[in-house]
Amino acid sequence: MSGDRSGDANEAVPDGGTVTEDAAGGSGGSALAGLRDRDDFVVIATAAALVVFPFLLIDILGAVGDVIGISIGGYTGLPSLVLIYGIIVIGFNLLLGYTGLLSFGHAAFFGSAAYSAALFSQVVPSPILMVIAGTIVATLLAWPIGFVSIRRSGVYFAVLTLTFGQALYFWALGPGSWLTGGDNGFSGIEAHGLFVGALPLDAQLVPVFDSYTVMYGFTSVVMLAALWVGNRIINSPYGLIFEALGENEERVEFVGLNVFRYKLMAFIISAVFAGVGGAMFVIHEQYIHPTTGLYWIQSGDFVIMTVLGGTGSLIGPVFGALVFEYVANVISGVSLPMIGSIGSLWRFVLGAVFVFIVWVFPRGIYGAFADLAAMVNGRGGGDGDEPAAADGGERE
Amino acid sequence: MLLQSEIASILLNGLQQGAIYALLGIGLTIILGTMEFLNLAHGALYLVGAYTGLIVFQETALSNGLLYSSGITTLGFEGGFLAALFVVPIVGFGIGLLMERFVAEPFYDRPETDQLLVTFGLALIVEETVKNVIGGNTFQSIAPSTIFGVNVSQPISLPLVGLFPSWRLFIIGIAFLVIGLTYLVIERTDFGLVVQAGTHDSEMVRILGIPINRSYSLVFAVGAALAAFAGLIGASIQTVSPQIGTEQALVPAFLTIVVGGAGSVRGAIAGGLVLGVIISAMTQTYSQWAQIVLYLFVALMLIVKPEGLFGSAEVGE
Repeated sequence: MSGDRSGDANEAVPDGGTVTEDAAGGSGGSALAGLRDRDDFVVIATAAALVVFPFLLIDILGAVGDVIGISIGGYTGLPSLVLIYGIIVIGFNLLLGYTGLLSFGHAAFFGSAAYSAALFSQVVPSPILMVIAGTIVATLLAWPIGFVSIRRSGVYFAVLTLTFGQALYFWALGPGSWLTGGDNGFSGIEAHGLFVGALPLDAQLVPVFDSYTVMYGFTSVVMLAALWVGNRIINSPYGLIFEALGENEERVEFVGLNVFRYKLMAFIISAVFAGVGGAMFVIHEQYIHPTTGLYWIQSGDFVIMTVLGGTGSLIGPVFGALVFEYVANVISGVSLPMIGSIGSLWRFVLGAVFVFIVWVFPRGIYGAFADLAAMVNGRGGGDGDEPAAADGGERE
Repeated sequence: MLLQSEIASILLNGLQQGAIYALLGIGLTIILGTMEFLNLAHGALYLVGAYTGLIVFQETALSNGLLYSSGITTLGFEGGFLAALFVVPIVGFGIGLLMERFVAEPFYDRPETDQLLVTFGLALIVEETVKNVIGGNTFQSIAPSTIFGVNVSQPISLPLVGLFPSWRLFIIGIAFLVIGLTYLVIERTDFGLVVQAGTHDSEMVRILGIPINRSYSLVFAVGAALAAFAGLIGASIQTVSPQIGTEQALVPAFLTIVVGGAGSVRGAIAGGLVLGVIISAMTQTYSQWAQIVLYLFVALMLIVKPEGLFGSAEVGE
């Protein structure tokens, strides 16, 4: 997985901490390639995409759906939901895609942040402070869990994170139900105004398009911040060490770096992202249940989104979150002429697509498109020898 | 202070739950040990076993179902459970062969995270297929009321324990028979020797000229058959629904091999029994904390003795 990063042909300049990326669909020269990694460029390009995203997802697809008679447009809450999961998987990918650690327990951070934010809202009903409170709790939880789990690697790491996550899940369902509401879930979340009661979250930002709510604006801003931070990290010398860890841990150790510390840091950083996402999720849904918040299948969903989108790039997993949530929320409600209602088949289809992607495109949708673009541009190397070499290099 | 009878019944219930964990754990551990392939679809095999058992049980029931409609009204046993006892492991064996060939083999040379991911996806597919084909509703457990003409629906009185469901005694007996046979096969036969050698150093086995690839598919098939058999046993005790694959099988199977030590059959048996007794003891005393204590015990085990009870540190690393 992480070995596939070499397909991007990153070249590090250690002193300046800058990284130039010159493969993966870069049609222009090195100037454009350099631009692609600059923080302001990444943020501005994403901001532009975020401005048109609800319009495309709801209005354009809705109009197309009206024409073909199948409703394929999203609902007003969907763009925010996609971005919330996008925030989480950007962080998750720092761990899985860059550092090469597969955690099956990130629902613990997502869920604990969600519950903390929900509980905090009973005291201070401010969305911004709720996110901060939730994130702090998730971070504090990630430290001990990471401290213990990081000691083991590979399969054991996955099982350990799963173990802690499940322990928390059963706690929330049973003994902790006085705090979490147990199987009834936790509702009654008070988060209506963005700034001390003003600007209700479901108010419209733009008069005509009802998909542009204050909640969407809020989520977009957090998303941009998450992306900026993520981009900062992977393009810093610190992030380079994460990447090096993903490629060969032993070598990093031989260089004299404290592997444990960096892995723990990667784990905590990814938990911070999951915490932000969890708090945002509870603000968006106004409800949290142990099954949506803490169950290990939720962690599995993060894994699916990340791998589906592509672990080889910063933004890739966000596409995975988009596909996942779109299939889960829109396609599942579609009724096709021949097949009939899709309903719960969506998970079946998603599972099949997921297996196919893992099998054929280890770098995910984004990686596949990048390879395709590279091929069209006559570079041709993207999908051929490089990933194969990367896979080969991964074995011990 | 626990009464003697309480301790006895905790142990007996632990034995029953532990047998299921052990059956699952042996399958998972020989696959992990021999091929270094981590199968997240192991719970899906349990699910398939449970549903195959359910279908065989229903279709061979003599009051309705396929057999009845084809005119057969007596087979000498009631409820079709004995038929399921044979059919389910065979189905599991076949699925195991197919899985090895089409799912596992392409991934032997890929990173272990890819193996986790593809089998995780496969588990999803199986679970959703069951949901869509058979339905998401819950079925009653499939314990027959008589077997070999002996009434097993009534609890019997045991020394120390008191009243205990006689069906569960039968289940404990048959599960440990299978566990014992598997253990003997792996300890005493040439096939077992190859498996054992494979768990230590599969490269060396290949260099010695033993056709380990054929053993691979056999090992996978045996593991799958054991998981399916565990599913049948589980289905005769608990209700059957599409979620049992992940909830009752996959995660406990992992915990079992973590406690026992990856790659060790003896470890899987010991680990299964330890976990079974823990969960049974907690269920009878502080049932709310049962799962939590189980998970925390495993976490502690991983920290204190990461190689497990009988494992070597390198396997599965």
